[in-house]
Order: sequence, then C-alpha cells, then structure tokens
Amino acid sequence: MIGLATTFFWIFLIAFIATAVYSAKDLQFMFGEPQLGITGDNKLLFSMPITIINNGLYNIDSFSLRTRIKDKDGHTLARGTTIIPIIRKGEEVTATHNMTIDVNSVLQKNQNYLFNDTEVTIYETGSIGIAHIIPVQASTNFTMPWGAPLYNFALGPSQYTPFNYTHARVVVPISFENHAFFDFNGNIRIDMYNSTDVLVGEGQTNIEAWHDSPYYGNVELLVQTAGMTGSGHFEVYFQTSFFDYGPMVIPYG
Amino acid sequence: MVETNNDVKKKLRKISFKALKATIKAVLIYAVYFILWTFIAPISQIIPNFQLMVETFVTVYIALIIVEELTSGTIFHYFFNVAKALFVIGYLIASLQGGIFNITVENMSLVIDLRIILTIATLLGLLGLAKSVLQTINYMSEKAELPTI
Repeated sequence: MIGLATTFFWIFLIAFIATAVYSAKDLQFMFGEPQLGITGDNKLLFSMPITIINNGLYNIDSFSLRTRIKDKDGHTLARGTTIIPIIRKGEEVTATHNMTIDVNSVLQKNQNYLFNDTEVTIYETGSIGIAHIIPVQASTNFTMPWGAPLYNFALGPSQYTPFNYTHARVVVPISFENHAFFDFNGNIRIDMYNSTDVLVGEGQTNIEAWHDSPYYGNVELLVQTAGMTGSGHFEVYFQTSFFDYGPMVIPYG
Repeated sequence: MVETNNDVKKKLRKISFKALKATIKAVLIYAVYFILWTFIAPISQIIPNFQLMVETFVTVYIALIIVEELTSGTIFHYFFNVAKALFVIGYLIASLQGGIFNITVENMSLVIDLRIILTIATLLGLLGLAKSVLQTINYMSEKAELPTI
C-alpha cells in the first residue's frame, strides 16, 4: 500500500511540475507606451501600462513589479511598485505601473541634475507566483542617461537702454538646452545686484522649452540708474510646476 | 550435487524473466520521461544543463531499476532499493540547489523558488526509503524464521 500511495503521489507531483512549466510558457507580458504627467502635489508622474495574459492552466498570484531609480552615489531618486494580487487562468489584466519623481527633492540631493547630463541606474524587479506554490522572481538593472533640463545655461551680454530719468531697461539674453525627457514650462526671474550687493532691479519671463531642443530668449529688467555699477551679480530663480530652484549667482562686469 | 538439465533451464528461465521485467520497467520509465520532456523542454532554454541534469537522473534511476530487478530474491535487491530511494533524495537536493534556483542570463537574474516542491519530493523520497528499509527488515526476518534443514 505504501508503494502504491508513493507512486500515486510521485505521478501527481511530476504531472503538476510538468503542467506548471507548460503553463508558464503561455504567460504573456506586454508593456505599453510610457507616459509622462504631473501629480496633484507637483511631482513628475511616469506611467506605463502593463498587460498580462494568463493562458496557462493555473492562476498566477502576487504579481509585482518594482522599479527603483538610483543615482551614481546610490541614492534613491524615485521608486514605484505595482501589485496585482491574482490573475486567473484565461484572464487578461491591465495595470498601470506608476512612478513619481519629486524633482525638488532630487535637486536638494544634487543640483547638478539641473545643469549637467549624467546617468542614473534603473533597478527592475518583477515577481509572480505560479499555481500558488512556485514563486519566480526576475531582476535586472540598466543605466539610462539623465538629460539636464537647463544644460549649458548661460546669460549673454546685457544691453542697457534708458527707460526714464530714474530707471533703465536691461535686456539679459538667456540660453540653454533642454536635454530632459520632459518639457520645461515655467518662469525665470532675474534679480540684479550692484557691486555693494544692493538690489537694483528685477525682471522675469515665462519660458516654454521643449525637450531635446535649445532655448534662446531674453529677460527684461527695470533697473534703478542711480544704483547701477560696472560690476555686480545676477541672481537667477527658476520656477516650474514641479520644481523651484534658486538663487543661481552669475557675476557680471 | 550435480545440477540437472531441468535446474539449468529453470535458472535460465528465471533470469530471462527478471531481465524481461527489468526491460519492461526501464522502457516504461523512459517512455514516461519522453512524454514529460515535451512539457518541460522549455525550461532547458532558461536553465543551462537542465537536459543533462534530467538525463543523468533518468539514466542512473533506470540503471538502478535494472540492477534491482536482476537481483530480486536476494538481499541485494533491497540494498539497491534503498540506494535508489537515497539517490532520488540526494540528487533532488543537489540538483535543485536547496530549492532555490538562481540563474543569471546576461544582465538578468532569475530566481525560481522550488522549496515547497523540493520538500514534497523529499518527503516522498523519505517515504520510499522507509518502505525499502521496512521491506529489508521483513526479508531478513523471513530468512531468519526459515527452518534450517
């Protein structure tokens, strides 16, 4: 009797393993076009639709996809997790893998992300449970270039024109290349300080810089003529819907 | 004592029967392996040396079955039976790397957790081992009980 029972259980176990493996090959994962948006709390939202088709013989449970983006120093810049508790056999499930990037927080760690191109490492971990008893996990990592939204930011030579008896109009050319994967829509404010660090004028402009394209524009400042000196410094402030940065100090004269 | 022609024939028939039984068992096991392989063949694309691993197991298992059948009626039959049960347990633990398969393909790491399967298989192996040990004890007891003439 023991022999018979053992044989029966062996056949059952081997048949189960064979069918579980056979089922796994009928699993299909499809990744849709990634999309970019902004959340209510002004964070960059990266979302990617995932479709899983389970044509296998068993249910799939505990599907999870985890993404972590780390910088060169190993600091986590962003993370996202998608969990689908169960995918029944013959079922097709679509979920969206969301990942939020708090650009303000990223800039606090390293301001170079704004002005210099660099690389980030993406860690992907996906796991599924086949037939409730065989957990399978796959993980990989790869590097991706990080494009600076204000690459090569520079102020050109200022042009002074008289405005009235007390003020002059100063036009400051600005230029940069938006290497980021998002469009740079926001506001640039420039404060002008004289050699004694006294604020003599300010001006701002709205800018729309498409990703992967250069931007050339001007900021007009109304400056008190009395306080103007041959040298001093500009303080530049950037304000967009998902990050604020400033002051960036650029001397003149 | 001189063996008669009949005794030789009887022995030959007995050996032929054992060989036939062993052959049928071996062919049956190979047929089961052949059918199952069509289902589990995709694994060999993921796990390197998987086919070699399974083939080695099947070869040794069939060899043990043949030897076990050929030695039936002797103590060696039970010896090989126990060896077969131990081989199944040992080979499963060794080849399944303790139940957690870690495969690295290029930049991707794949971890398959087969600990539950391994536990069930080991328990079944232990059941087989217990059965073999009990059979051996039974055989020895029966031998001991036989009156010596």
